[in-house]
Amino acid sequence: MNEEIKQPEKPPAANQRTRLNTFNPGPLYAWPMGIWFIIFFLAPLLIIIIYSFMKKGLYGGVEPVFSLNAYSQMLNPKYGILVIRTLKISLISTVITILLATPCGYAMARSKHQTLLLFLIIIPFWTNSLIRIFAWMSILNNDGIVNQLLRKAGFIKDHLQLLYTQGAVILVSVYMYLPYAILPIFTSIDRFDFSLLEAARDLGATKAQSMYKVLIPGIKSGLVTAIIFTFIPIFGAYTVPLLVGGKDSYMLGNIIVDQVNKTRNWPLAAAFSMVITVISTIGVMLVLISNKNEAALNKTSTKEDNYVSDKTSSGAAK
Amino acid sequence: MMKKAFIGIMAAVMVCGTIGLVSCSKKGSEASAEAGDDGNFAGQTLYLFNWTYYTPDSVIQKFEKEFGVTVKVDTFDSNEVMYAKLKAGASGYDITFPSQDYASIMIKQNMLREIDLSKMPNKQYINPEVLKKATYDSEMKYCVPYYMGAAGVAVNKQKVKNYEKSWNIFARTDLKGHMSMMDDMREVIGDALAFQGHSVNTLDDAQLESAKNLINKQWKPNLVKFDAEGFGKSFAAGDFWVCQGYAEVVFGEVPEAKQADMIDFFIPKEGGPMYIDSMVILKNAKHYNLAMAFINFIHRPEIYAEFLDAFHFPSFVNTEASKYMKTVPMYKAEEMANCELKEDVAEGLEKYNNIWQEIRFEAN
Amino acid sequence: MNTNSYFALKKSLKKSKPPTENATHARKSWKKRNPHLSFSKTILFLTILLLFIPLFVIIIYSFNSSKGSDFTGISLIWYKKLLFGSGDLWSALWNSLIIAFTSAVVSTILGTLASIGINWYRFRGRSFIQTISFLPMVLPEVIIGVSMLIFFSGIKMPLGLFTIFAAHTTFCLPFVLLMVSSRIDEFDFSIIEAAHDLGATESQTMRKIVIPAIMPGIMSGFMMSVTMSLEDFVITFFVSGPGSTTLPLYVYSMIRFGVSPVINALSFVMIIATCLIAFTLRKGLKSFAGNR
Repeated sequence: MNEEIKQPEKPPAANQRTRLNTFNPGPLYAWPMGIWFIIFFLAPLLIIIIYSFMKKGLYGGVEPVFSLNAYSQMLNPKYGILVIRTLKISLISTVITILLATPCGYAMARSKHQTLLLFLIIIPFWTNSLIRIFAWMSILNNDGIVNQLLRKAGFIKDHLQLLYTQGAVILVSVYMYLPYAILPIFTSIDRFDFSLLEAARDLGATKAQSMYKVLIPGIKSGLVTAIIFTFIPIFGAYTVPLLVGGKDSYMLGNIIVDQVNKTRNWPLAAAFSMVITVISTIGVMLVLISNKNEAALNKTSTKEDNYVSDKTSSGAAK
Repeated sequence: MMKKAFIGIMAAVMVCGTIGLVSCSKKGSEASAEAGDDGNFAGQTLYLFNWTYYTPDSVIQKFEKEFGVTVKVDTFDSNEVMYAKLKAGASGYDITFPSQDYASIMIKQNMLREIDLSKMPNKQYINPEVLKKATYDSEMKYCVPYYMGAAGVAVNKQKVKNYEKSWNIFARTDLKGHMSMMDDMREVIGDALAFQGHSVNTLDDAQLESAKNLINKQWKPNLVKFDAEGFGKSFAAGDFWVCQGYAEVVFGEVPEAKQADMIDFFIPKEGGPMYIDSMVILKNAKHYNLAMAFINFIHRPEIYAEFLDAFHFPSFVNTEASKYMKTVPMYKAEEMANCELKEDVAEGLEKYNNIWQEIRFEAN
Repeated sequence: MNTNSYFALKKSLKKSKPPTENATHARKSWKKRNPHLSFSKTILFLTILLLFIPLFVIIIYSFNSSKGSDFTGISLIWYKKLLFGSGDLWSALWNSLIIAFTSAVVSTILGTLASIGINWYRFRGRSFIQTISFLPMVLPEVIIGVSMLIFFSGIKMPLGLFTIFAAHTTFCLPFVLLMVSSRIDEFDFSIIEAAHDLGATESQTMRKIVIPAIMPGIMSGFMMSVTMSLEDFVITFFVSGPGSTTLPLYVYSMIRFGVSPVINALSFVMIIATCLIAFTLRKGLKSFAGNR
């Protein structure tokens, strides 16, 4: 690699060795995506915000009259039950998913067959999700494989109601989002310095201790990403509770869809979305900020110090 | 440094441009609108927005062949979703198939184009009884009836032996854990209202309250779920023994050989909600004449019979077609004698909404 | 390993005693005898099994001689129908693949660049971009779908493959951004400074150091985008135009009348095709996954 880097005629002067006087490539990298969002997302976003403050049109749509009806409708305590139920199901699903995904990511990162394993994880997900949900329905139903096995083993006589329960929603949600959790964790563990673990063992830690105290903090950003990728989609999920859930599995995602379609109350759907968005944004920001604080304590070189547009210090803060 | 970003942006632009060009050129290659006044439609494409499978492939292919055109079908599985999409601005479709309440909404919202009855000689086959019931548009100004039917109850004869052909089958606690009703507000509340002898379109608070109590206290505890999609599968698998829903869903999942032994489909004697699906032409349709030709084509008795055969439907809308039918219908039109058309209740929908929420949100 | 973490480690482990000779020997010899057995590997194996169980069910039912949930016998009729009677299905699949691929490429490029820009540099508008790029992930799909439809109709853009492509790219971007960012977060920035000090230009640094190092993150982001785009139903339903059906739309519309096992047959064919492609490209993919 060295021979390919052009040797300059003379080394840059000391006060020019820093990058501050040269231009900051940050905006150039980030703005293309920013422009994309401005073109394709800003207007829809504004539409959502504006609609949530308008009066519901009788046949769907909105009437151009300012109204806080949607938000006041949301305060209905019945919705509270739903939100709690949705939170409970999403949290349980997320916890199970992460508990499964972390050892998987670890085993994958340490394996010699990374590409193969990556593909094994991803391939099922290029089959249409509906078909896979149907497959689960036929596995879990009263005469499905699980019940048949349980009957043959003598555990039950008739059948266990597995399908159309909250448990089924959790199981299928975990199934659907496992790869979305495994990927970031794997990416993060891949980068992890495993000699740290060896050092821990040599210092006297048990395996569990070394995992918990060394590995987990080291892959924190990957874990956070995995949690975000799992919790948020499951929280807003609609198809899974619809198909495999029972009468006790009506969740927030179902309500919002029903508001748009069945009750034709677009402002309420928009208002719900705004609230979900604000809460999720706050939650994620809190996590990311605490993440950054910890990272700042551990890092040897803080990149932030270098590329601030108006500082005058030079080099890294080693 | 600039190069990488520049390349990235160029690549993105090229990709966008290509796709944009492709989709634009697709549009440009079509024949201009309003062609076909002379009856020559060659080269045009008709766009249907239809319930899945509602018009059999064989019928569509016959139409394509006879008129030398292509037919493209986009599908939906509920009126609400079809309406939401069209209301939000989707365009490009020529014909869609709303049920009666949404047909009247679409008329009121000015989303439809008038039917030119002079282009439809086959209107003579349409049963005037149906038109009488179609109070939302009995002169076929905007809507041409496609099919009239009702949701009913499918019972697994092998598992349930003695039962009354009534909506109150859902109150039977011995069948608990093996029954389902559709996740459809107007249908379920309508069934309760009909059972109690009221109109399915009532806005009377006392009647609605008593219907709600019936559902919540007597029916819901015995149900496994409210399911408008998968109950056919569960019925066929033997999980559900009694399902409220559309006959074609159940018949579609149970293999032909087992249907006669397994399924008893009936429309309860108390009546209940029924529907009339119509063909309508959207206001911004680009192929009006071709659309009229299609509507006319559907009501040719032998073609309509093909449609009925595909679903084992009874031939109420187009009685001439019964002469060409090759199958036995799943239920008879007479069973719908006590049924009532679901109408659009306008602001009253709020009342139904609130009741439905009280039914749906509780876990039990 | 760096000094900070070593000392932190030492501090937190102060309380435990160092292992005895025997214990260390025991651990190392067990590892020698059972190099393949470990808790994490077992979980990985079970997880992969779990992921594939529904696939086995799907494949088995693709050979079912009848349409319903009863397995009545083995037959190839659905494969025949797949090959000969399913023009609509294949064009829906083709649409899905084109859209998935192009939106994944665009969102990966835009997202990777943006991740580098956002994570390493400060500039005006940075927090605006961070916030707005996060939103498509959080908003419910149905709302995104309806609002984009209203927007597209408002600017009179015809619905079709392009609108689906635009919508898919938009909602895949936050995921790519997060995936690449989590990789970048662990990247030791001093390497970049070293490169600059040695005289490398920005482009060289990018091409030879940064991109290869974060390539696993980029590839993961790309694969996630493809997956999510292939799967999406709700948003696609609203922004698709007449005749631009994608695979999920096609399948979902069949729900009420029973999904034909032709889809099962198609799924099996797709799995085989994906495996074949992965197999032929494995050399290239190895270098992407980080040279292990």
